Amino acid sequence: MDSQWLAAFKGKFTGNIVNSNDQFRELIEAYAIGSLDAPERAQLEAHLASGCDDCEKALQEARWLVSQLAYLAPNAEPSDMLKGRLLQTVRAEAAGSAARRQVVGGAGIPSWLWAGVAALLLFSLYSAWIAHKMHDEVAYLQQQAKIEQAERERLEAELGAAKTQAHEAMIWSDPKSKKIMLRPKDPKMPDLEAMWHPDMGLVVRGWKVPSPGEKRMLQLWLIPKAGGKPMPSMTLWPDANGKFSAMVENPPDTMSDTQALAITEEPIGGSPQPTSAPMWVGGVS
Amino acid sequence: MFLAVFSPKGSGEVSPDATLMQQLLRRDVGAFEELYERHSRIVYSLVLRILRQGSTAEEVVQDVFLQLWRNSAQYDLSRPFVPWLLTLARNRALDQLRLKSERQRRREEQTEQFPQIASAAPEYEQALDEKRRAERVRLLIGSLPIAQKKAIELAYFEGLSHSEIAASLKEPLGTVKSWIRSGLLRLKESLRATS
Repeated sequence: MDSQWLAAFKGKFTGNIVNSNDQFRELIEAYAIGSLDAPERAQLEAHLASGCDDCEKALQEARWLVSQLAYLAPNAEPSDMLKGRLLQTVRAEAAGSAARRQVVGGAGIPSWLWAGVAALLLFSLYSAWIAHKMHDEVAYLQQQAKIEQAERERLEAELGAAKTQAHEAMIWSDPKSKKIMLRPKDPKMPDLEAMWHPDMGLVVRGWKVPSPGEKRMLQLWLIPKAGGKPMPSMTLWPDANGKFSAMVENPPDTMSDTQALAITEEPIGGSPQPTSAPMWVGGVS
Repeated sequence: MFLAVFSPKGSGEVSPDATLMQQLLRRDVGAFEELYERHSRIVYSLVLRILRQGSTAEEVVQDVFLQLWRNSAQYDLSRPFVPWLLTLARNRALDQLRLKSERQRRREEQTEQFPQIASAAPEYEQALDEKRRAERVRLLIGSLPIAQKKAIELAYFEGLSHSEIAASLKEPLGTVKSWIRSGLLRLKESLRATS
């Protein structure tokens, strides 16, 4: 093949180089149909590349003209199977493209995923709102519980005080009770009185009693008949008016075994044995 | 002189094929089906004429329309569609014909892209509808001397060069060149005469 076109090139074109527009124009139709041999084709392409507008326009028309030769082909009809195969392929590719657009486009996220994210966000907001609401409710309930606890303690204290008062009143009014006067060692101090019931307990009262010294309080002692050590009992603290009333339901010793009651000033919290001289003393029997 | 009548179509005018190609860019299967209905017969006829084997021709036609579908973005909407499609089909069919030949390998790079085609149709394209223009083409080429007609057919349907045609017809190279050029010029004048 090479020797053929070389021979043709030498034979037909040596000394007859195509070098004018008219000569190039004569090659346009053959170039458009694709029948130019290699040397002519190369020369024409170089000429077209140089920017010859006339030849370029002629080539455009020649290409259109050559395409019309397709009508020389005898009419024929492709099979329905060809159309079926093509449409099947195209539909599958179109569906794939649509799926890719859903993933990549708009953000690339499919609508169901957006819906899921939205639902998750709503659920998170709802959960946070519920948690906040529950936190408030818990805090409210805790506050209510504290109030109710304080109220219950107050009522219990009132009830206890009422019971104590009732108990004390019963001790004071019961004929079995024995009244005991406690006389002060210091004549400037007021007398104290006690009422001891053998079953219901012992009550001690005082009026205009001066407050004990700093970090000090009063403490009741039972002095045994047998001459043993004083037995510690309740502690006492006068109010701002110097008044106090205290009761011991179960004294550490029985009235019949107790010689006397005594009250001393002791450190806060009381003492297991007296640390100071008695300020008040009253004989029991 | 004839270049004076060769100009792009009126600006703003959009052909039905260009509209369908625009829809094809949006992956419109309906547009593809309509393009196939409009042009599959002439494409198949051309490819079958080149390859002369129905099954192979259908494979090529399938490739052509799939290329249309997959690479529609490469098509310049301002250019005439049918000549472009026919040129694409012819190139594909000739590639198939030349399979395994050296020329095939040379052509492969060209056919990876869509073929070069006229940037605009001549004004006289509008003078005849496709059917009448096809009749005029057949009539004119059919009126040519047999050898001249054969030379044009060998160039167009077989993809032979001047030298190859001359060797095939056992005619002088210059005669073959003249036959092909004069035949195409007569066709052009014939089509122009209708406008």
